[in-house]
Amino acid sequence: MNPLEQFSLRQKLIPKGKIQAIGIVGCGTVGQNIALHSSRYGLDVIFIDVSQERIKQIFTDLEKQLDDVITHWGITPSEKLLVLSRIKGSTNYKDLESCDLIIETFSSRKLGPMIEERQEIFQKIEKAVNEKAIISSNLSTLMISDLATVLKHPGRAIGIHFIDPIDQTNIVELVKGVRTTDESFEKARRFVRMIGKKPIKVNESPGNISIRMIIPLINEACEILMEGVATVEDIDETMRESSGHRTGPFELADRIGLDKVMKYMDNLYAEFGNSKYKASPVIKRLVRANYLGRINGKGFYNYEGNKPVSNISITIIN
Amino acid sequence: MKIIVLNCGSSSIKYQLFVMPEKKVLAKGLVEKIGLKGSAIKHTSGDGTEHKFEGQILDHQQGIEYLLGVLTSKEYGCLNHINEIDAVGHRVVHGAEEFSSSVLINGEVIKAIEKSTELAPLHNPPNLKGIYTMQQLLPKAPQVGVFDTAFHQTMPEHVFLYAIPYVLYEKYKIRRYGFHGTSHKYVSARVCEILGVPIEKQKIITCHLGNGSSITALKNGKSYDTSMGMTPTEGLIMGTRTGDLDPGALLFMSEKENISIKYTNSLINKFAGVLGISGVSSDMRDIETAAGEGNHRAQLALQMFAYRAKKYIGAYAAALGGVDIIVFTGGIGENDTETRKTILDGLEFLGIKTDKKKLDIKGKETLLTTDDSKVKVLVIPTDEELMIAKDTYEIATGLHEIT
Repeated sequence: MNPLEQFSLRQKLIPKGKIQAIGIVGCGTVGQNIALHSSRYGLDVIFIDVSQERIKQIFTDLEKQLDDVITHWGITPSEKLLVLSRIKGSTNYKDLESCDLIIETFSSRKLGPMIEERQEIFQKIEKAVNEKAIISSNLSTLMISDLATVLKHPGRAIGIHFIDPIDQTNIVELVKGVRTTDESFEKARRFVRMIGKKPIKVNESPGNISIRMIIPLINEACEILMEGVATVEDIDETMRESSGHRTGPFELADRIGLDKVMKYMDNLYAEFGNSKYKASPVIKRLVRANYLGRINGKGFYNYEGNKPVSNISITIIN
Repeated sequence: MKIIVLNCGSSSIKYQLFVMPEKKVLAKGLVEKIGLKGSAIKHTSGDGTEHKFEGQILDHQQGIEYLLGVLTSKEYGCLNHINEIDAVGHRVVHGAEEFSSSVLINGEVIKAIEKSTELAPLHNPPNLKGIYTMQQLLPKAPQVGVFDTAFHQTMPEHVFLYAIPYVLYEKYKIRRYGFHGTSHKYVSARVCEILGVPIEKQKIITCHLGNGSSITALKNGKSYDTSMGMTPTEGLIMGTRTGDLDPGALLFMSEKENISIKYTNSLINKFAGVLGISGVSSDMRDIETAAGEGNHRAQLALQMFAYRAKKYIGAYAAALGGVDIIVFTGGIGENDTETRKTILDGLEFLGIKTDKKKLDIKGKETLLTTDDSKVKVLVIPTDEELMIAKDTYEIATGLHEIT
């Protein structure tokens, strides 16, 4: 029992539905960024991953990320300790028991939608948490309703799509499925606001707004490149300068990861059957050659650290 | 009349329970680390006994509920029921141009404070949480808002404006507001009370030196200029804040380090000041220890801190056309005798004759100058809580008369 409870005035002032702790299942890059961001806004975070070794590695990665923020004057060393102290790792789903909202961020690098795997995770989460907890997935091209079907209480399922780079993007797409209740949606909206972001309501549709808009853009950029109209760098610069995009389409594709981009394209094409979503041969060729973007140092650009140093040789494309 | 004063910070609540107008303190304390690990209430009873209660405190609401629980508990408390509290005084950091004095809080006032949040995103929200909670718990008790910025609303236009396109002032209210107003007001009034001089006839410079520091020039008993600006980053060098900085240098730093506005803000507010220069600490005591051991950068930080303060005193003496009284207050101003000496050193030309025997006195009301010194320099420990209680008492009793 909380020793301070003896002084409680029993006024029950705390608003219902308050979010104090969140759970993250599958703590890859996205999961880690959500964990850090939420903890920086004062929430407790419990993440579930496959092994103790993996958990150890995740904490090493988290520390590294925070050290990088310190180097760039974003937080102080004592704030780093505070942020880390609010994050716990576990291999046991039962540890999600105290969480008010759980986000599944299962790796989307592998090809295919992995619906069954995600459904299994949803079931495991539901077994562990209390009946009021929200169960969500960091969905991009999948549908929350497909995952909600396996739940006993499908009304609690919602899509929460964080957009990379999470700490610099002010919005989060909140995806309402067919069966998502208004109460669940409101609770998720409160969570998004609590971590300093603006929720954008999306009625479920593959790709939400963000992915659906950028996929044809990347495809069109590949077309322009293939036709020899302009270079990678010039296309990127034109889009940055002419349209006010933070990054050009190739920089963006590299940052997302070309394998992931291809998966988005496949999923959207399968869903809509429209050729504007069909993966460009350039993307396919690069992925086959293991040119995955920033993650392995070569994509449309070659990288040193996170910085592009040159763009790829035209021979790889042609 | 029992008045509780609340000072809600981002993760803490300072509280003090007064009997007014007797100025008697029944209890005081600090709720710390709200929403964080290791949250606790440090409570001091009227007889000076200290207690610490540790446990989970999720938010300000709960913190206030528990602190009232402590105040009404049989073992540690001094009240039978929270309804014995007659009025509540809240410290509110930013009142923008809306408030030039303390006010009785009503719906319109709350709206105005909410609007000012844009100018003080870190400070006003916790202040508001305190107000909302007390409205729920003590709906009948009058609540008073005492603003850090209010005292400085007397600054004339040519002093408070920045030399930016005027339209930006009109559009966004970008101007100098000043902070620590409650403290500057208290010590300036108190020093005149001690010296037995009319405040409206004095030229006073008050130096509030602490982790956050500011200096105010008072003309005719009113704030004429102050070193903090639109935000508390301007002016003196502080624990972790730069104080005055060339805006060109700021842009250059941001560009060279390739960092966002958010991170640049963190750089100038959390990594700079005496911490940034010394690399040792933001606490002057640690820096003085390091300086004593020969650490050059620690010595430099101390020199820079004192030099900036001295420069402001000189500037304000010029702005006021002379100076009659200088006051030191705040953690450093009250206790850091070496820093005080360094600041005063070389100011003899203003008419300051220090009394060497008194320069090492800490933490209490002290006249640091000789009887024949033209300018009087005093240490006055600040008491912002008492000031808030006073304003609350005056406004609440006025209210009682009306109703």
